[in-house]
Amino acid sequence: MDRRTFLKTGVAAGGAGLLGGLPAPALSQGAASRTLRFVPQANLANFDPIWGTQYVVRNAAAMVWDTLYGFDEELRPQRQMVESEAVSADGLTWTFRLREGLKFHDGSPVLAKDAVASLTRWSARDPMGLMLKALQQELVAVDDRSFRWVLKKPYPKMLMALGKNSTPMAFIMPERIARTDPFQQINEYVGSGPMRFLRNEWVPGAKAVFERFADYQPRQEKASWLAGGKAVQIERVEWVIMPDPATAAAALQNGEIDWWENPITDLVPTLKRNRNIRADIADPLGNIGTFRMNHLTTPFNSLKARQAVMVALSQEDYMRALVGDDDKLWKPLPGYFTPGTPLYTEEGGEVLKGPRNFDLAKRLLAESGYKGEPVPCIVAQDQPITKSQGDVTADLLKRIGFNVDFVATDWGTTGQRRAMKNPVGQGGWSMFHSWHAGADCINPAVYTAIRASGDGAWFGWPKVPEVEAEVTNWFDATDLDGEKAAIRRLNKAAIENVVYAPTGFFLSYQAWRSNLSGIQKGPLPIFWGVTKS
Amino acid sequence: MFAYVIRRVLQTIPVMALVALFVFSLLYISPGDPAAVIAGDQATPQDVERIRASLGLDRPYLVRFGTWLWAILHGDMGTSIFTNLPVTTMIAQRIEPTLSLMALTLVLAICIAVPMGVVAAWKQGTLIDRAVMGFAVLGFSVPVFVVGYLLAYVFALELDWLPVQGYTSLSNGVLPWLENLVLPAIALGGVYIALIARITRATMLEVLQQDYIRTARAKGAGQGSILFVHALKNAAVPIVTVIGIGIALLIGGAVVTESVFAIPGLGRLTVDAILRRDYPVIQGVVLLFSFVYVLVNLLIDLAYTLFDPRIRY
Repeated sequence: MDRRTFLKTGVAAGGAGLLGGLPAPALSQGAASRTLRFVPQANLANFDPIWGTQYVVRNAAAMVWDTLYGFDEELRPQRQMVESEAVSADGLTWTFRLREGLKFHDGSPVLAKDAVASLTRWSARDPMGLMLKALQQELVAVDDRSFRWVLKKPYPKMLMALGKNSTPMAFIMPERIARTDPFQQINEYVGSGPMRFLRNEWVPGAKAVFERFADYQPRQEKASWLAGGKAVQIERVEWVIMPDPATAAAALQNGEIDWWENPITDLVPTLKRNRNIRADIADPLGNIGTFRMNHLTTPFNSLKARQAVMVALSQEDYMRALVGDDDKLWKPLPGYFTPGTPLYTEEGGEVLKGPRNFDLAKRLLAESGYKGEPVPCIVAQDQPITKSQGDVTADLLKRIGFNVDFVATDWGTTGQRRAMKNPVGQGGWSMFHSWHAGADCINPAVYTAIRASGDGAWFGWPKVPEVEAEVTNWFDATDLDGEKAAIRRLNKAAIENVVYAPTGFFLSYQAWRSNLSGIQKGPLPIFWGVTKS
Repeated sequence: MFAYVIRRVLQTIPVMALVALFVFSLLYISPGDPAAVIAGDQATPQDVERIRASLGLDRPYLVRFGTWLWAILHGDMGTSIFTNLPVTTMIAQRIEPTLSLMALTLVLAICIAVPMGVVAAWKQGTLIDRAVMGFAVLGFSVPVFVVGYLLAYVFALELDWLPVQGYTSLSNGVLPWLENLVLPAIALGGVYIALIARITRATMLEVLQQDYIRTARAKGAGQGSILFVHALKNAAVPIVTVIGIGIALLIGGAVVTESVFAIPGLGRLTVDAILRRDYPVIQGVVLLFSFVYVLVNLLIDLAYTLFDPRIRY
């Protein structure tokens, strides 16, 4: 007996009059094929991609707002809302011209002043934007379709900054919205992209709905990631928030949802056994597992203590704890940059290769002057990635001889505590665990975690002048060879000084019903080109 | 009685004030930082600090508490730090699924548990009694989420009778509403059924020993009449008390049940808000739950007069 039969029987037994009769299906056959139900990686709790920089916000925003440039699958920035650009011979003046016919979702045309206001807001929050802001002489609209950005110093990575998919992306919003303080949330969601956000159907924590924007003008080129023609084939996309992976797996098997962004590895074999479900790698750029040591406090203010950890850590242990025995899902990472991308290098990475050396680790620890002080190791238990890594780290540190203070907590508390620079014993910490999306580790411009400027660096506050010098060299490089040379030196210096500890490179799956086609692998779920039969 | 009701309603004011102070203080001293969550993992410490300042989280305790209390007294529960939506709107969006789930669970539990307890008492020491008590132990022992997964596996995945997850509003029809709520209500009701069945049995055993029951039997009253008219009414006070106390169980259980069945209710709203440190939402929901609990207790107290005319306020 299937569900419909069961329900009909129920109605017959209970009396059609009592129960109000069998309801018409919520969606007719045609409507069902035009609606795609998607389970995202997390709850869409806010919808301002500049104010809130979580990946889930970026992913939803990429449907609703367009960008001037977009990265294709070769990681090259391609024109998107821009028709043409020109840069002066001295590299100081950039002039951009918008495509004709671009419209916001309220029907108003996209004008140069909108782009100027959007870039102004974005540049107050984005690392590359902040660099541009520091170099900026003026950013003004020339006419309705053109704007000019005049700099004090050439910035060869301009198009990369405008097209990158690391968060926050340079989305284009109407001027009146983009004028909002970048540290305050916007209240209006008028997009420039291929789908409209239906605010009245938004139930944070439960559902977010997007509808195809009929007046969107896709480019003529073939779509490739965030570049090319973003031609949406589905009328309506419903994001259904499901905090429980087992529920999401069951809903996918039952056909109640169509696409699940990040099934946990344990459930993938079950999903693969179902002939109605496809599962494949979600993002070829994957993720980099990390733990960061606090360079300001004992014991990891000593380089030798940090090196002691590096010579003993086994990336295989970390990766198996994260992804299990599926060898397709991980690889060792004797470096800091995303494998398979142009700047990937293993320069200086020997310390992370080969058999692990606990004798050397113990010797280095003794030489560091460590006297057995507690080492607070912060591990967020509500994030499977940090929890798995934390368990391995605790064992590793104990085996080396550290006095581990295992601080089991949640991600919200980790976020607060890792910002504290106090000494251990006064709320300070020694290490915490995290991970970075591979898309954020393809070059130093988008890679906050690799910076080593001391107080201004990411949590752990590493201070390694050689690393910062090579970041500058990379920004100034005008060709790929120059960039690669800078990154090789950077990688070596970062490993020698242990800016942070990479625990390996890992991939994750996405899964979808077999009646969907056009699902791409990419750094974020891409809805254009997807069809449902 | 009217004076009693007024007095009880007035008593809720200091109770709610204490709850408000407790909740606010607890959140204030608990670790966690919404600004860090908002800023995302790539944000610099400076970004986090600016967001914290823009949210007013850098202000002293008394200033924050005073501002919040003043707003509450004016009927304003504040705005969610994350969604930028009024807390009242978020609660309004979520209250129907939770109320529906709790109401259906309550009805199911009472309809199942009370007859079970009565029959168990009537058949004391028999196989039926042992089966009922065995079920009660099982109901207490098996966690809600385990029951939930089992039900979803059998009735949704294997038999394809019911959906795995979601919620359909009652305004879309009774059947679709029931379709989504039956499994969660059964899962959530397990503990509740066990609790009510046990207390019903125990109370009924005591009442069935009373002289007036013997008298009823002597004058030839039927078994059904003895059990459900004479005995049950006199056993009702403790049963009703347990049903009231059990509302707290339901609220706690709803958090898990709503997660397992992806029901967009207040339980999930609470968990999400706690994980993100969305203080206004946490404070609003906890105040609401406290108010509901106080109200339920008042109703229970009033209900005593229906079952026992000797009770007067």
